[in-house]
Amino acid sequence: MAADAALLVGGCRVPTLRLYTWEPCALSLGYFQRVEDVPEAVARRGDPRRPLIRRRTGGGAIHHASELTFSIAADADHPLYTGPIAESYQRVHRIVATALAQFGVSAQPRGERELVSDVAGTGMCFHASHPLDLVWETPEGWAKGVGSAQRRSEGRVLHHGSIKLGPDPLEPHVATVAHGGGQVEARELGAALIGALAAASGVTPMPGELTAAELAQLEREARAFAHPAFTGRR
Amino acid sequence: MRPDDRQYTKSHEWVKKDGDTVLIGITDHAVNELCSGNEGDLVYCDLPAVGRAVDAGETFGEIESVKAVADLNAPVSGEIVATNPEIEDHLEILSTDPWEKGWMVRLKPRTKSLDGELMSAAEYESHVAEH
Repeated sequence: MAADAALLVGGCRVPTLRLYTWEPCALSLGYFQRVEDVPEAVARRGDPRRPLIRRRTGGGAIHHASELTFSIAADADHPLYTGPIAESYQRVHRIVATALAQFGVSAQPRGERELVSDVAGTGMCFHASHPLDLVWETPEGWAKGVGSAQRRSEGRVLHHGSIKLGPDPLEPHVATVAHGGGQVEARELGAALIGALAAASGVTPMPGELTAAELAQLEREARAFAHPAFTGRR
Repeated sequence: MRPDDRQYTKSHEWVKKDGDTVLIGITDHAVNELCSGNEGDLVYCDLPAVGRAVDAGETFGEIESVKAVADLNAPVSGEIVATNPEIEDHLEILSTDPWEKGWMVRLKPRTKSLDGELMSAAEYESHVAEH
């Protein structure tokens, strides 16, 4: 999360896709979310064995388990992000849907569908939905399968996405990539995302490392993220 | 045409002189970008404490819609002397009346002539049209 924040405002303005998984699993709160509004966060408070953090992006809480997490940081006037926020979501989600299709998942915007994954009172991102969210059909019914949120600062945009690879007891009823027909590794899905992004943008992504300026920003961000006052700010 | 009794920033805030203070808010364009016409999509606005000093261009607050958190940037330098008490519980006024009832903070400018990078209403119209 600190690395994503560093990519947002760290000084290197090269559009960057970052892919990662979590060890150990952690629960992340949305930037403005109150700890008290997320029962799982209340249960974790002060328990170092079950990490609790806060994102710089908004939305609901996410349990980062059995998932591929991605971030895309770029200037606000980049073709991916220019214009209304809703349109930027649609562009990112078309890329994600193209990647998911390789694994038998037919992801579509929720629109007016009712979802079996909408569950009141948990404060979890995957248990609340918006017409822009990517959903697909599961044996239980239509369900949300991608958690998405953005942060816009200093003329830059950071888009966070979480794609569930398999079921997680903390987030029941959610659509996963496994619903497409089989178990998929994070690395496979990551490669598909890179390919879909390249096809959509006409640019071939190159592997890279954080720059010195971004590493310096990462250190500052990591200190802020690790501080209990940030996690417990609301 | 947007109101020409105030000035605008590239990041879509407005600033309007009001006696020896100024009022600051965000434009209809900013609101539309955040919530695409669904006023219920605005969920939270964090405004600064009274007494805080801000520099032109510095972030003075943050606003969250269902899908994004965005910075609020000070159009001019000065000291926050009041915040709009209606905003927190009635975010919809940012959609219904961003120009008057939707003011966010009142600021006492550091200098007599406003020091930020500001645009007239006509210049702001062009800026929005280009982006």
